[in-house]
Order: sequence, then C-alpha cells, then structure tokens
Amino acid sequence: MRLSRIRIERLKQFREPIEIQDLQPGLNLFTGANEAGKSTVVTAIRAAFFERYRSGSVEDLRPWGDSSASPTVELEFAIAGTHHTLMKSFLGKKRCELQAGTQRFDGADAEDHLASLLGFQHAAKGASKAEHWGIPGLLWIAQGTAHDIKDSVAHATDHLRTALKDSLGEVASSSGDQVLAAIEGSRNELLTATTGVPRGPYGEAIKLQAQLEQEIERLDAHIAAYRQNVDTLAALRQEQATDEAQKPWESLREQERAAVTALQEIEHIELTLDAQRQRLKQVEERIVLFREQLEAFARQDQEVARRIGALETAQAEHSGAQTLVGSWQSNHEQATRHAETARGQLRLARQEDTRRNHARELEVLQSQAASFADTLANAESERAALLELQALAAASAVAHEDIDTLRRQDQQLRELRIQQQAAATRLHFALDDGCHMQIAGESINGAGERLLVQSTTIILPDFGKLEISPGGADLAQLKQQEIELSDRHTALLQRLGLPSLEAAEQRHQTHARQQSDIKAANATLKTLAPRGIEALRAELAVKRVRIDEIRQALQQLPPSPDGVAAQPTVAQAEAAEDDARQALAGVNESLGSAQIAASKAHNALQAAMRELENAQALINAPDRVQRLASANASLTDARAEQAALNERIATLSAQVAEARPDILKQDVERFGGSAKQYEKSFNDRRERLMQLDAALQSAGAQGLEERRAELMRDHLQAERRIVELKRRALALDYLLNLLREKRRALTRRLQAPLQKHLNRYLQLLFPQARLEIDENLSPGPLTRGNGHGTESGAFETLSFGAREQMGVISRLAYADLLREAGRPTLIILDDALVHSDDTRLTQMKRVLFDAATRHQILLFTCHPGRWRDLGVAARPLETFKTLAA
Amino acid sequence: MLKLLHTADWQIGKLFGQFAPDEAALLAEARFKTVERLAALATQHHVDLVLVAGDVFETQTVAGRTIHRLANAMAGFAGPWVLIPGNHDASLAESVWTHAARLKAFPANVHICLQPQPLLLESIGAVVLPAPLTQRHTYADLTEWFATADTPPAMARIGLAHGCVQGILAEEIDSPNPIAAGRAEQARLDYLALGDWHGARQIDARTWYSGTPETDRFKRNDSGQALLVELAGPGQAPSVQALASGHYRWHSYSLTLQVPSDLDQALQQIAGFGATDVVQVSVSGRIDLAGHRALHDALEQARGKARGVLADLSALQLDPTPQDIDALKADGYLGDVIDDLRAAQEGPDAQTARDALSLLAGVLNDRRAGAETDSAR
Repeated sequence: MRLSRIRIERLKQFREPIEIQDLQPGLNLFTGANEAGKSTVVTAIRAAFFERYRSGSVEDLRPWGDSSASPTVELEFAIAGTHHTLMKSFLGKKRCELQAGTQRFDGADAEDHLASLLGFQHAAKGASKAEHWGIPGLLWIAQGTAHDIKDSVAHATDHLRTALKDSLGEVASSSGDQVLAAIEGSRNELLTATTGVPRGPYGEAIKLQAQLEQEIERLDAHIAAYRQNVDTLAALRQEQATDEAQKPWESLREQERAAVTALQEIEHIELTLDAQRQRLKQVEERIVLFREQLEAFARQDQEVARRIGALETAQAEHSGAQTLVGSWQSNHEQATRHAETARGQLRLARQEDTRRNHARELEVLQSQAASFADTLANAESERAALLELQALAAASAVAHEDIDTLRRQDQQLRELRIQQQAAATRLHFALDDGCHMQIAGESINGAGERLLVQSTTIILPDFGKLEISPGGADLAQLKQQEIELSDRHTALLQRLGLPSLEAAEQRHQTHARQQSDIKAANATLKTLAPRGIEALRAELAVKRVRIDEIRQALQQLPPSPDGVAAQPTVAQAEAAEDDARQALAGVNESLGSAQIAASKAHNALQAAMRELENAQALINAPDRVQRLASANASLTDARAEQAALNERIATLSAQVAEARPDILKQDVERFGGSAKQYEKSFNDRRERLMQLDAALQSAGAQGLEERRAELMRDHLQAERRIVELKRRALALDYLLNLLREKRRALTRRLQAPLQKHLNRYLQLLFPQARLEIDENLSPGPLTRGNGHGTESGAFETLSFGAREQMGVISRLAYADLLREAGRPTLIILDDALVHSDDTRLTQMKRVLFDAATRHQILLFTCHPGRWRDLGVAARPLETFKTLAA
Repeated sequence: MLKLLHTADWQIGKLFGQFAPDEAALLAEARFKTVERLAALATQHHVDLVLVAGDVFETQTVAGRTIHRLANAMAGFAGPWVLIPGNHDASLAESVWTHAARLKAFPANVHICLQPQPLLLESIGAVVLPAPLTQRHTYADLTEWFATADTPPAMARIGLAHGCVQGILAEEIDSPNPIAAGRAEQARLDYLALGDWHGARQIDARTWYSGTPETDRFKRNDSGQALLVELAGPGQAPSVQALASGHYRWHSYSLTLQVPSDLDQALQQIAGFGATDVVQVSVSGRIDLAGHRALHDALEQARGKARGVLADLSALQLDPTPQDIDALKADGYLGDVIDDLRAAQEGPDAQTARDALSLLAGVLNDRRAGAETDSAR
C-alpha cells in the first residue's frame, strides 16, 4: 500500500484544511512541535478507515468549539497497483466514497471493502476500539504504545491468519478464535476448566441424582420393613386363629388339676406319717431316760466299793508319814548340839587373837613416841637460831634502789667535776720565794697550779688585785648542777644513816650474807618438821592417847585359859562352826518336809472317810429298791411300743414313696406353666397384632410406595438429564480439544516465517540474539549473548526502551510477512522510539531504513534532530498549513 | 339379559418417569380421568355390573387422598362394581384394601372381593366367583375352586380373576398366578373376566382379558379399551364388544433416513403428532446438517404439541455436505475440525464426535445467523 496524498479539513487541530502531497514510497519523516498536529494527522487516517461514516460517536473529531463542523478526510493511495481515492466526512455531512480503480463504492460498502482489504473490523456500535483494528492496529503505532504488542497481536491474529492463508497455502480461520471461546465458555459451564470435574447444572444434576438415590434406598428399607411386617401380621393372625380354635391351654389346665388332686392325697398320708414319727421319737426318748436311771443305780454301788479302797490307801500313807517325822526329829537334836560346841570354840579363839594384837601395837607406839619427842627438841632450838638471824638481817637491810641511786649520783658528780676542770681557766704560778698571793681568799706561795672555775679574785699583795673570770657560760651551770646533785647525794646518805657510798656498799654485802644463812637455817628446820613444829607436837600427843587406850583394852580382856597353845586358830574354828551350822539347816529342812507330808496324809484320810460315809448313805436310802423295779418295768413297756410304731411307719413310707409327690409337684408346675405359656403367648400375640396393625395402618397411610414411585420418577428424570449433560459435556470437551489442537498446529505454521523476518531485524539490533515467537504469535523470551554465555528473559521483563524496540521490529516482521502474502502494508510511527538511547536509535534507524525499502513508513516526531541521518528530508507540518493557506 | 362392563389393570398411582415432569404428571392424572370415563360408559350403556379384574392400584401403600380420588372417579356409575385385588394390590394382611376399608372410601355399591367366596347379586341375578390374590405371587391356581362352587341354578356364574392363562405365553416366561386354560368351561362359567395383561385379548368363547383402559406403555397391544359383555341367558355364548376408553395414544416409530425424501416423510409424520399422542421416535441412517436442524426443530415443535415425545437420534450419523460447510463459513482450521469430526463418527468416539459436530454446526450457524441479522440492520 502506498499513501500518496492526505487532505484533512475541519478536524480537531485543523480548522483550516491541510494537504500533504508527494508522499514517498519509503520513509516519510514529518516533524512538528507539540500541538503542531502530528497526532491529528494520525487520528484522521485512523478515523478514515476505522470509524463508520455514520457513527455518532466521533464528536471528538470536531475542532474544539465548532459544533457544526463536518470533519473530512481525503486519502489517495495505491494497493497492488490500483489507485484508490477515499473521501469520508463525519457528523454534519455524513459521506463515504471510495474510488478503487474503475470501481466505485459508497457508504458502508466502501467501508467494508476497505476493512476486508486491510484486515480489520468495524465496531458493531459506538466508536471503534482496539479489538476492531486488526492488522492496521498492529502496524500503525500510536504514541507511546510501541512496547505494548501482545494485545495488538491478539486483536490481529485472526486477520493475520486470514491474510496469510494464501502464503501458507492453508486455510486459516476468520472466526476460529471466537468459536473456540464460545465452545470453551459452554464447556466450562459444565466442567471445571482445569480438572474437568462436573460443575454447574451437570454437577447439580449428579448431586440431585445421588440425593434421590439415597432417599430411595432409605425408602426401600422402609418398604422392605413394611412388607416384612405385613407378612408377620398374616402369620401371627394365622397362629392366633389356630389357637383360638384349638385352645391348647385347656387340656393342660385339666392335666394340672388331676396332678393337684393326686398330690393332695399323698400329702394327707404324709401328715399321718409325720405324726407317727413324732410319737416314735417320744418313745425312744423315754427308753433312753429309763436306761439312764438304771445306770445311775449301778453307778452308786460301784462308787461305795471304790471309796472303801481309797480309804485304805489313805490310812497306809498316813502311818508312813508319821514314822518319817519321828526319825527326822532325833537327827535334829544331835545337829543342834554339835553346832553349839563349834560356836564356843570360835569365841575363845577370837579372844586370844585380840590380845596378841594389842600387845604388838603397844610396843610399836611406844618406840614411835620416843622418836617424835627427840625431833621436836631439835626443831625448837633450830627455830630460835633462825629468828636471831632474821633480826640481824632486818637491821642491815639497804634497799637495792638506794644503792643504785647512790652509785649513779656518785658517778655523775665525778663526771661533772671532770667537765669543770676541762673548762676551767688553768692558772700556773711560780711565785718567787717569799712572795705570796691570795687566791679567793686563800694565801698561796711557791709554785703551783689552780683551776679557776669562777670569777676569782687574786690579790697580789702590794701589787693589787686580779679579777679572773673563766670564759664560757656552762662552767657556772656545771658548777650549779654539781651542787644540786651533791645535795641530793648527801640527803640520801643522811636518810640511810650512812657516811658514804663505801659504807653503804659494805652494809649491802653484810645483808646478803645474812640472807644466805637464814635460807640454810630454814632448810634444816623443814627437814626436822616438814609440817611445822605444831603438827609434830600434835602427832606426838595422838600417839600417847592411843597407847593409853590399848593399855586399857588389855586390862579389860578376861584372863587367858590354860593350855592356850592347844587352841585352834581362828580360821579353823570359823570353818568348823560353819560346817556345823549348815548341817543343822539341812536337817531342819528335811524335818519340815516330813511334817508337811504327814499333815497332808492326815487330811486325805479324813476326806476319804467322809466320802465313804456319803456314798453309803445313798445306797442305804429307804425307797431305792422300789424305784429300781419301777424303772425296769417302764423300759420293757416302752420297747414294745417302739416296735409297733416302727412297723406302721414303714408301711406309710412305702405308700408315699410309691406315689412320688416330688414328680407330682413337677407335673403341676409343668402343666400349669405350659398352660400359662400358651395363654401368655396368645395374649402377647393379640397385643402384638394390635400394635402391628396400628403401625402398618400408619405406615400405609404415608403412601410409602407411592412416594417411592415419585422418587423413582424424579430419579429417572435426573438420570436422563445427567446422560444428556454428560453427552453435551463430552462433546464440548472433545470439540474444545480438537479446536485447540488445530489452532496450535496452525499457529506453528505461522510462527516459522514470522521468526525468519524477525531475526533479520533483530540481528541489526542485537547480533546473535534470538526472540522467540509464542503460540499467540507474540514476542516471547529474548535470548542474547552477554559476554560469557547467553541470558534469556521474558519479553515483559525487558526495559521499556528494549520492549519498545522489540515492539517496532516485531511489527516490521509482521509487515514483511503480510507483504510476502501480497497484502497491503503501511507503517505509521507516531513519536515512537523516544525511549531509545543514541546507540540503539542508530541501530533502529538502520532497521527502519531497511524496512522502508519494502514498506511505506510514515514517521512523526517532535525531535527532528534525532532523525537527521535517516536519509530523507524532514517535512515540518507547519509548512503544509502554510501551503494550504 | 345381563350386561357387564369388563375392565382391569387401572394401575392407579402409576408415574411416568421417562417423561418430562409436566408430561408425567398429566399421564398420571389421565388414569383417574379414564375411570371417570368408564363410569360414564357404564351409565351410558346401562350395564348391570362393572367387573374390575385386579391391579386397581399400582402399589399397596398409596396416600388416602389417592383412594378417595379413585372412589370419586367411580361415582359416575351408581350400579354395582365388583373389584378384586391383583398382584400389585394383593389382599395381604395389611393392604391398600384394608386402608380403603378404614377410610370407608368406597360406597356400598362397590364390592371388593378379598375372600374366594361367591358374591350373590340377587337383584341382577348373577353370582360373581372371585379369585383375589392374597399373596404378591402365587403358583397355585386360585380359580380352582370355581368348579366346586354351587350357585343358584337360575343365576349367571361369572368368574373374576387376575393372572396368566396357561399355555399361551412362551414356556420360558415365568408366569406366576396361573389360571388353567379352559377354566370357564370346566367351572361352568358364563363369563370369565380376566386381568393382568394390558392388552385386550380373547382366550376362548367365554374368557377375555379386557386390558388396561388407559395405555401405559409403548408396547403395541390392544390397550385403552373396556369390554361390554352381553349375556343373553344361561348357557349362551356372550357377545363381547370393545369400547374405547383411553385418552392417550402411545406410538413407537423407528425411522431410517437414507434418501432425502425419507427425511420429508419423517418430518411429516412428526408434524402429525397431536395432543393425545405419546410418542417414542428412534431415527437412524445419515443426515446432513440442514436435515439435522430440520429434524431437531420438528421434534421440538412436536414436544410442544404432543403429550410426550421421546426421541433417540443416537443411531443417526451426521453427514454435512460441502454446501453445509460453505454455509457455515467454517474456513481455516474450523474446516479441519469439521473434517476430523466427520471422520471420527466412524471411530470409537462416534457418539461424542457426532454431538461435537452438531454443537459446532450449531455455534457456526448461530454466528452466521447473527451476522446476517447484523448486516440486515
């Protein structure tokens, strides 16, 4: 397709007509500032093709504020060598004329002719929208939409397939996608889209059928139970009727009554038998009683005989015990005598022993008392000497401290004097003979030396006086100290009553010697009387008292018998006495035992005599013989009666045993029970029949089977609906799959040539890159080298600029494909590629230039500078306005 | 002379699930209407007695309302009705009959024979010997006792039974409730009125099945009638006349389409269905899309007219002509799809393929029609 002239009048921006002529077959670059009308030109071209000339929805084509204008577009173009002139005016004057070569179309015919030529649709009503634009929508890129290719391709797909069918040598479908969508919609009403599970009316029908089935099952159970009950009712009624006719319990009651009568007879016999047995028991008890009486009489006789024997034994034992007591008494007297003798000898032995002991002690005490008296005399003289010494020592005592003080004072005095001499003025003099002088009042002659320690006046007779004052202040001080010390020294000596230090020393030594003597005397005294002299004296007194006591005791002892030497010792006498005493005790004990035994034997003898007396008293009772005879007679009578009774009892027992009352009782129970059972089951059955009857009546009134028939009817209907819907669903599913499969196959056939054209452009932009075409014929992932391998990304993840570039080249590839199929192509780019950088734009210019060798391209831009090297002259839109004016 | 109306197998309470709910309701309702018509016929023909030979009710447990409705439907004839239970409404310990008795639904002129004992109708000079079923199925001949039953000599002996006369159905069919052949003669009956078989049928000179008075199935038989029986006198053969009593006619058609005129004939036939027709149509053969549409439309119209239309087109193969396909404008891959579907009609998914083809044709046709409407506007 080649557009050669555009004329626009009273349309949007252009209140005045503009006309663009001399459009070139290849690239046409139109420039213009914003608002210059670039987009209006594009809008005019679109309106000329897409909008119905009768449309009322194109008010926006009118210039602003010009409500009566008839926007008009005139286009001249050639398609496949045929010249076309299209004139279309809207709103005010609705016109559409198309001259195609020699053919002329008017109105809607013209519009439809163009739509089928270019591959687009008109809107059924209202303004044309993107989904109607078909192939032109793909190739005419509106401002800012180059990147958005998916939708454009989708809207164009059917047209593309139709347009390309010749080149494919294959029929594409003009309405396949709509059919597919319709079938898919219908199918998805019945089956879920992904899993194909029944839904919608189909699913509901299945649910309903299941519900009905469940309800029918429930009802069937009810009906089965109902029928079972009807059969039971019939059977029970039959049984009841039989029972009522035969009354089986009556004969049983008869049998029961017979058994009861027989049982009563036997019970009467049993009562008699019991009375006889009672009597027998009494008789037997009496027999026992009589026998016991007779036995008691016999026991009395035996008792007397036994008592006589016992008495004899007791008498023998008693005399034996008496004999034994006599013998032990004589033994006792002998032992007593022997014990007394032993005691007398022991007393004598002890007296002599005491005497000997006293004499020995007295001797010892006397010698001790003499010794104690000597010692005491020594100790007393020693103590007198000691006291004398102690008096001397007390007189010579000088305190240690005083001695020390005196010694120190003497030492200090001497030191002071030395110090004074050292500091004193030494005065040597050698007086001529006869000459004298006075020093400090002392008359001196000859030669000598003086030490002056204080101001001293020397009178030189005839000559005058010399006042010499020794130098230095401390000399006077020293002298002063000496005087003070000397005073204290003298005072101390006076207090001690001593003339000098030497005297003090001498007295101190004397005192020390006396102290030592006192120590020696003390030690001597200690040896003589360790506990003191008074203790020694007390001890001596004690001894002397003891001596007096012993002497007195000896005097009081009885005189010693003769033949003292033959006496036994105390120990011997003690042993003999002990033996005798023990022997006496043993005899004493035996005598006691014998006496107790004799007493016991005596008591036993007394008792035996009393018992014998009692027993004989019983036997000698006056009525005893008569009672014995009576007892014997009664026993004989009772035995006779016992025999008679036994015989009767045996007879009666045999009768009872023969009749078997236990079995008779069971018979009564059995017949009665059976009859009762029959009666009970009859009554129960009657009850049951009433209940069953009532239950069946109420169940029958519910119309179970009628209800089931209704449910079965509904179930059948539901089932039929399921079958129908299932058939429909299956068919739709089948059809949908088939449609999809065919569509995919067709798409695959379209993909290959499109890919070829696309790659041609892509290589100019990204060498080695590859852009996939997906099954909707839209650009898919872009794969390209990044220096160390390849990377791949979905179209949507590319940058806006890259998507824009891909969008443009994809559209160019479609254009190539269409051209190959002999279809008209016109490419319009309205301010496209504004997001491309300079490098990419350079490449895109190569792409566009290459495309322009095959297609007419109208490029509108407001950046003329960017497109300067496109190889064609830019045509500013303003020039056309001017021209037109 | 004694005049009887012999009917049977009313099957009151029967429902018709194979039809659409509204149609089914009307068919169920028709059974009451038919009883009303029978009463009217009895009155119109001045019959002495109406005999109903069993299966009065379809089921044992029906709602009281249903029993009352039946009684009302019978009210149009005031003379004696003699009814026996059949296998559907056997006289069990508890049954529809005991229910009816409790409801006191039926008036005194309606005699329901639940025991095998003679029913003396002295006013009309007839004795009815009934053989009521007291079990759902029995293999004993319940009419056995008819022969030994003594009746007043001047009165007509009329047997009334429900079951299968022996020796007529094929051996292998298990037929309970047997009735010995020649029972009428053997038991000296003037007429033996039978029920159970839904078509009217004469067994011998004195033995008839009346069939159901209102057809209830597609099986071809002489149903939808009642028998007017005239007994001139004891020992004389009865004169029997069938009276139409049914409202609906049940048809079953099997159409084969081979040549275009077959379709025209079929369409004509279908167009002829009326308001009292209940129809079952099964169509086989081959048909093009236009024909298929026409057939479909005709059946839809018939559904609007007739009482019930069951159509089975599963054996009909769709065979679009090139013109069909052109008309559908099924260009591109849609054409491929149609070719595939046509081929698949011979394969294992034949039914589905046929349905799919029909659906696709429908969608395309609708689109084309829509487009034409659009362009017409």
